[in-house]
Amino acid sequence: MDIVIVLIPIALALGAVFAVLFAIAARSGQFEDLDDPATRMLQED
Amino acid sequence: MSAVSTQVGRCPHCDLAVEGDDAFCCHGCELAYALVHDAGLGDYYTRRDVAGQRPEQLKGAWEAVPTRSEDNGSCSVTLQVDGLRCASCTWVVEHLLAQTDGIDDVTVSYATGRTHVRFDPQSLTTRQVASVIASIGYAPRPVGAAEPWDDTLIRMGVAAFCTANLMLLTISLYAGWSDGMAPRFQSMFRWGSLALATPIALYSAAPFFSGAWRGLRVARVGMDVPIALAVGVLYTHGIAQTLLGAEAYLDSLGMLVTLLLTGRLLEKRGRRAAADAASAIAASLPMTARRRTATGVEDVAIAELCVGDVVELGLGDEAPADGTVIQGTADVQMAIVTGESAPMQARTGSEIVAGASILQGALAVAVDRVGEDTVAMRMAAAVRDATDRPMPEHPTDRLAPWFTVVTVGIALAAGAVWTALSGLHTGIEVTVAVLVVACPCALGLSVPLAVASGLGAVARRGVVFRDGGRLLTLASVKTLLMDKTGTVTQGTPVVLTADNEILRLAAGLERSSRHPIAKALLAEAARRELPLPLMTDRNETPGVGVSGNYGGRLLHLQSGGAGRVVLCEGTEVLGTIELGDRAHPDARKSVQQLQNAGVSVALLSGDNAAVTEAMGSDLGADQATGGATPEQKGAVIRAARLNGHVAFVGDGLNDSEALAAADVGFAMHTGVTSAVLLSDAVVTTSALRPIVAAFAGARATQDAVRTNMRRAFTYNILAVVAASFGLINPLIAAILMPLSSAWMVWGAMSVDRRITHLEDTWT
Repeated sequence: MDIVIVLIPIALALGAVFAVLFAIAARSGQFEDLDDPATRMLQED
Repeated sequence: MSAVSTQVGRCPHCDLAVEGDDAFCCHGCELAYALVHDAGLGDYYTRRDVAGQRPEQLKGAWEAVPTRSEDNGSCSVTLQVDGLRCASCTWVVEHLLAQTDGIDDVTVSYATGRTHVRFDPQSLTTRQVASVIASIGYAPRPVGAAEPWDDTLIRMGVAAFCTANLMLLTISLYAGWSDGMAPRFQSMFRWGSLALATPIALYSAAPFFSGAWRGLRVARVGMDVPIALAVGVLYTHGIAQTLLGAEAYLDSLGMLVTLLLTGRLLEKRGRRAAADAASAIAASLPMTARRRTATGVEDVAIAELCVGDVVELGLGDEAPADGTVIQGTADVQMAIVTGESAPMQARTGSEIVAGASILQGALAVAVDRVGEDTVAMRMAAAVRDATDRPMPEHPTDRLAPWFTVVTVGIALAAGAVWTALSGLHTGIEVTVAVLVVACPCALGLSVPLAVASGLGAVARRGVVFRDGGRLLTLASVKTLLMDKTGTVTQGTPVVLTADNEILRLAAGLERSSRHPIAKALLAEAARRELPLPLMTDRNETPGVGVSGNYGGRLLHLQSGGAGRVVLCEGTEVLGTIELGDRAHPDARKSVQQLQNAGVSVALLSGDNAAVTEAMGSDLGADQATGGATPEQKGAVIRAARLNGHVAFVGDGLNDSEALAAADVGFAMHTGVTSAVLLSDAVVTTSALRPIVAAFAGARATQDAVRTNMRRAFTYNILAVVAASFGLINPLIAAILMPLSSAWMVWGAMSVDRRITHLEDTWT
């Protein structure tokens, strides 16, 4: 069971990485428009 | 009468049927077509599902549109583009802009028409960017300054992440109660919980603390105060318990903050959608004027114009200031101010307002008022004040002070009793337990969730409300007054009766005219799929009509009195076309539904009394008042308000006073800017059905809010009693809180279903 002492911090650290990525994504405006990307893939450039 | 030419083609750009080899319907379409092809975007014409639109001239004060400076020296601007009706429209606008020199980055939203352009201010101006869009038939409009960046989403994300992990740790701790747990794991899990709770309390919950502080400084206790109090107590208690090695309510803290932030985020999204719909404002004043001088005419900036100057206006120009005509005649459209799309005749002595545009003819105007004094600018100022007015407060804001005082009172009293009975430690435990379970989570979520759900449901049905308070007010409205032109009717002339051949020839004559009557004729010809004949020697005389030569026949089209135009060949009259304004097809049914809902419906129009009454009885309205001036409209509404809440639907500047006077003012999205900005809600489709939906939505939301508040109170009373008797521990609190919140969500989700149900009942 002692392994949780290592595993929990690792899990939290991994989670924190994604929380930071989420903050970066939100800050760059990726969540501003949630309707268009769905139609955009239907257009070929 | 026989057609001279038989060859029929279609305008490659706008798909209008035309006769002859010269396949384009007008010069604008020809230019647009060439522009798209030269840019290598010819694919647009094969992949689009709807025809293009005829390009219109770009109008407005684009120099004054706010832009944002970016770090690398470029600047960016947000425009609202109208007329994007298929994915290919988005595609062609985006690519055409991307290929323009000086533009770094473009994104066009198909769903909303929002277009963000980043460009180099050295080589391009906002006007040039907009004119690229206008040149291929889409209508760009400037958008008010962008809202400041809002970080609620990130705060919510951080809170959700920490809460989820916090729960994993605390579930282990709770499980340890029965199975036992090694002390070192226990203390590790407790300290881990505290570490995860810290960002929630200090970062995610920060808006509640600042909101509570702002409120307290002006001696107002809003919903933020009990929330901040709960968060503060929970966190401090959590630190103390962790140091002592005992259970804390940290998972409840996480849940509380996450749920409340989610509610707030939903509410904000709804409000922003409403603001976006309303803030697409055209600043329709030109920036330069042609001023007469002793020797000739000079171009000056409008800031240099003075009262008494004489300015010249030609075809397509817009008046830079208010003034009086001293020379010339012209057809002038003053839709910016009057909302009336039909042009009026201006001659010597007529008054012209800034922003009026010349459809035909030329004028010399003596300037009476400039700058801030012009009607248009005063209107804009009034609108700015109106949009700054405070939002109506939430129903829960009124309860918050009582709630806070009662909760804290009970908590302290229970704590004192328990201290006396079994010592200080138990006393503190009970005090905290009461504050935790009576925490304002359910109450704080009850209204925002129901209102956000109601705003969303109503917006999907075509009415965008500016804020939830107005939606709730609408629930108690018993009287609906409606403007006629542009509200109950479409507001622009349409062809009522016309012979095909007459219409075809008349539309051919009007082929490249921008007159509203020309547009009506062309639209009807296009609807009937009549190929437009090719005229030579076309000649448009202001106030008289249009003439042209069609295969040797000399035709002219002129006004034949109110609501009709006459087509003549030489002196012989070939036929007449009747034009008029038609009610929306759904108007009668909508009026019926509203009356079934117990709302009395009346028409209130500036148009003449006979026409208004005829329309009123045709629709089955309870009352119809015609010939009302803007002031009278306001007065009628103020009088009606003595008998309860009143809603008004309008579209023009003459409706501004009525919109402001009514408890709930609806503006049609086609209306003038001032009407849209003064309104509480915008009807986004040209029909009346959305208004019925808004009434249904208001009542459904009201029901949901009441149900939710009742549930929140029931929960709080039960929970506080239980906590006062010492029956609540951290595990029970952790189960109760999400249950109470789920109860709120359940209440809010019923709104959409209920609207549909109400609409069916009223039919």
